[in-house]
Amino acid sequence: MLGEFEYLILTAAARLGEDAYGAAMRQEIEGAIRRRCSIGALYTTLDRLEAKGFVKTWMGDPTPQRGGRPKRMVRVTGKGAEAAAEFYNAVTRVSRGVAWSKRIEVRP
Amino acid sequence: MTRICWWLVDLVSRMLEPGERDAVRGDFTESGESGVQALRDVLGLVVRRQAASWKDWRPWVAFVGLIIPLGMLLSIVSWITAGHSATYFWMYANNWDWALLTDRAFWYAFAYCVTVISHSFLLLVCWSWTAGFVLGSTSRRFVQVYGLLFCLMLVFGALLGAPRYFAYFFQYVPHRPQTPDAVGPVDALAFYRQILPFIAQAVLVAVPSLWGMRQGANLGRFPPMLRIVLWTAAISTLGVLVIQEPGFGFFLRPFWRPWMWHAWQVSLLQMLVYWPVVYWTASAVWRRRHGRTASI
Repeated sequence: MLGEFEYLILTAAARLGEDAYGAAMRQEIEGAIRRRCSIGALYTTLDRLEAKGFVKTWMGDPTPQRGGRPKRMVRVTGKGAEAAAEFYNAVTRVSRGVAWSKRIEVRP
Repeated sequence: MTRICWWLVDLVSRMLEPGERDAVRGDFTESGESGVQALRDVLGLVVRRQAASWKDWRPWVAFVGLIIPLGMLLSIVSWITAGHSATYFWMYANNWDWALLTDRAFWYAFAYCVTVISHSFLLLVCWSWTAGFVLGSTSRRFVQVYGLLFCLMLVFGALLGAPRYFAYFFQYVPHRPQTPDAVGPVDALAFYRQILPFIAQAVLVAVPSLWGMRQGANLGRFPPMLRIVLWTAAISTLGVLVIQEPGFGFFLRPFWRPWMWHAWQVSLLQMLVYWPVVYWTASAVWRRRHGRTASI
């Protein structure tokens, strides 16, 4: 089962498609969670996902707006898409019938 | 402030793999990150990377099998070397008399003293460089961690008393050899007692070791046969460091017999210790012929 941050990364990479790379994914995640996403967390999680075979990364071409430095491109693999779908379904299933709001009362 | 931060970002990011370093620096440029934020981010990434590397067994083996014993040993040897040279330094620096320059005997004694000190310094540099070379060649990936740990080990050895502990221990070793005696007027000066050993440790041990680590990390580029030759030379040198005085050889003294010192094998081993000099010369010649990029 994926962790929530792993899921966020997979979703950001899937949404960006061909343009998925470090900085763009970070921006996408920060926009979604409305918090800062550290590069350390992003790159170490990407490594973990790659080790599990959920994503494939490679060095892209250098661009002038990056000071002539290459991008670390990311692509979600079939296995990664399956894991993300499983996580999403699990969250959807467990959330059924629960309407979260600030005023909700949690009963034992 | 911003320039300092970016300079620090550059410095810290050198601890990352070259590909990752470029990608991260590119991300900072593209997202217009401030210097402080970039520094915080890159520090976080480096710490995570280094922490993750300790899940591997290799750094632990290198730490226990090489860094601790070699760090302690070189700490002791540098302390003894600094102790020997302190007397000579004190003799000339603190008791200088211009009239000595006209004395032929002075020049004779001075030449002898320079030879003895240079020899002991060169020996220590060769040992330290070799220790670094072996450490660096065991893993290119962990070379920065090894460098940091090795320096910490040296400081630990100097501060927490490896030398003092051993000096104390020598009392209980039968037929113990002469240890450098405390020379009253020399040891009365804090410089010779405290600062010179630290300088010796930094200049003659830490710097050559770190340099050796950098060079050892490139060993993978060499042809297999050359690698075997270099490893053999390095391991033999460390063997001599371990068995010879000053070193753990203090403890082997009771088992040595006089004929052993004159055996050709021992003489060969003692010559082999200076192999880094041959390596540095060969590297310099190679660089001159093939340009800086083709450095070995």
